Amino acid sequence: MDGYAGNIVYADLSLGKVTIKPTPPDLKKQFIGGRGFGIRLLTDMVDPKIDPMSEKNVLVYASGPLTGTGIPLGSRYEVSTISPLTGAAMSANSGGVFGWKMKKAGFDAVVLSGKAKKPVYLFLDNGKAELRNAAHLWGKTTGQTTDAIMEELNDKSVRVSCIGPAGEKLVLFACIINEKTRAAGRGGVGAVMGSKNLKAIAARGDLPIKAADEAQLDLVKERVRKKIEDNGIEKALHNYGTAVLINIINENYVLPTRNFQTAHFANAENVSGETIAKTILKKPKGCYACIVQCGRVHEFDGETGEGPEYEPDWAFGPDCGIDDLKAVARANNICNEYGLDAISAPATIACLMEMAEKGYVKHPIRFGDAKGMLKLVEQIAKREDIGNELAEGSFRFATKYGHPEFSMSSKKQELPAYDPRGIQGYGLATATSVRGGDHVYGYMISPEVLGAPEKLDPYVTKGKPQWVKTFQDLTAAIDASGMCLFTSFALGAEDYADLLTATTGMKIDTAGLLKIGERIWNLQKLYNIKRGFGRKDDTLPARLLNEPLKEGAPKGQVWRRDEMLDEYYTLRGWDREGTPTQEKRKDLGLA
Amino acid sequence: MKVQVKAFATFREVMDSQFDLDFLQGATIRTLLEDLIERYDGVGELMFASPGTLRDFVNILKNGRNIHFLGGLDTPLDDGDVIALFPPVAGG
Ligand code: SF4
Repeated sequence: MDGYAGNIVYADLSLGKVTIKPTPPDLKKQFIGGRGFGIRLLTDMVDPKIDPMSEKNVLVYASGPLTGTGIPLGSRYEVSTISPLTGAAMSANSGGVFGWKMKKAGFDAVVLSGKAKKPVYLFLDNGKAELRNAAHLWGKTTGQTTDAIMEELNDKSVRVSCIGPAGEKLVLFACIINEKTRAAGRGGVGAVMGSKNLKAIAARGDLPIKAADEAQLDLVKERVRKKIEDNGIEKALHNYGTAVLINIINENYVLPTRNFQTAHFANAENVSGETIAKTILKKPKGCYACIVQCGRVHEFDGETGEGPEYEPDWAFGPDCGIDDLKAVARANNICNEYGLDAISAPATIACLMEMAEKGYVKHPIRFGDAKGMLKLVEQIAKREDIGNELAEGSFRFATKYGHPEFSMSSKKQELPAYDPRGIQGYGLATATSVRGGDHVYGYMISPEVLGAPEKLDPYVTKGKPQWVKTFQDLTAAIDASGMCLFTSFALGAEDYADLLTATTGMKIDTAGLLKIGERIWNLQKLYNIKRGFGRKDDTLPARLLNEPLKEGAPKGQVWRRDEMLDEYYTLRGWDREGTPTQEKRKDLGLA
Repeated sequence: MKVQVKAFATFREVMDSQFDLDFLQGATIRTLLEDLIERYDGVGELMFASPGTLRDFVNILKNGRNIHFLGGLDTPLDDGDVIALFPPVAGG
């Protein structure tokens, strides 16, 4: 055994046909799993000229060899597709229990192609797979869908990953939700699922997942467990959840406020992790095999839910000028129920708020209007009234009204909760991210703001391109392995390499691990070039390059793209346009 | 001179979350931390790995700038400074 379930299921939804094939050894060797499997299978199967919303697009679910092997925080699965929001080949990551269940059901990956004539769901059951009628589930929220499937299969051990009404309505940033609250959030993976008339995947099983060297794996597991337990950062994640970042990012004067007009929110404390812990928090919660438990279960005014995590907390809060924690938590719950990306939805609302305030769009919403914000979230999910236009994302919305400059996005995907003007390397990581506006494809906030693994000056550009490249490659490998990215605060590349070697039996050292990550990155990049992306797209909104920050220590700064981009391309072995050279492609086996 | 101190996350379990302190000219971040250790039980242990060495991932900001890029613990205090104290924190 080698940590893999051993099979991949291919579901052709147009034909209603399911085929099961062994997981190819070469795919394991070159791409490990997770994001690596997803991007390889996707780019092999899909013509780069297709419309992402057409039945020619493919959706790949994939776990990694470290998913579900009892390794702390080994819980993840990735969903890869051509994003209808950005047009790029991308992947979205989710935790919870589903990734483990998919493997226990016998599958490393699920490849979904075509389009079903009527709504269906895919049932993975102990080595078998079948498509089932989902007409009765269409229109249901993610919670209702999950309950209904568990009830009809009459089995509480079943785990469900599904879309809500937003995915059915093809909202360009609809997400996929498993276990009611865990999201494969970004890029509109839920819209692609909806476009295929696929409502859900349910998984059941108790097939064994065994490592190549169980004794060695136990030793490495113990080592990483200790590192995670002793790490101060991981402890903080448990105590305060990810929203503990609100205050530190705000105090650094890099918390985007009111659609990135400023980077400091006077009432940040009201939506901070500390305030969540004091008020609405009921208990922490974790994904499969997690000893950190950064999730938050909340309860207030008769409502229960999870989160808000840092990103939605910021986006519904400071980015919309709102300091009402309950409204933020409520908005986050609506996103989970309807299946909306809780970064792009609020960031698109923030874009409308600025355009409405400045008179470019006629609408009564203003910054700080929590009630109006909640109404807009539902309108987007249902594509009602102005929600129908906002459902296309901030870039298309702002462009339609003649002012794309108000969309705080990169490659048409809304930017996360950090202002690049005061964090130069993070800006480069986001601008060059192969999936568009993003923070988890290379989390430079860690060295530049949090000081891990070492403190890098966030205002300086020198040396950053190398850091960004290393972080991006390492993250791609972690996303392929099935581990939660939050392990990277405590673990180094050698730990992942040792875990993978003991689990898969393949000899993977640190250099080999980074090379696999680099291969994934370059494959994604090469494919996106075929879809028309180039140097012009590796950038950020003009506001961030031209309008200096107005307050605090980083006052006067803009994001300095020109000081970093060429060096980054050179380090990557790319030409001036950002295209991988023949030599680089050969080196990575992508020629 | 007057300096405002703000504490976050677990530091709030051992000290007030916001307060002002008075210092003489020439005081530094080190002076401020020594003052806190005297005032509040548990601060020293939470902040320092050994005398004079901050624990990993503890971040101290002076008016929004990490003291690591100023003068470290010897960074001088100025009248009206806001000093923010963070234990290890993270998210994504
Ligand atoms: S650290 Fe958080 S996101 Fe990661 S596995 Fe644990 S609970 Fe899930």
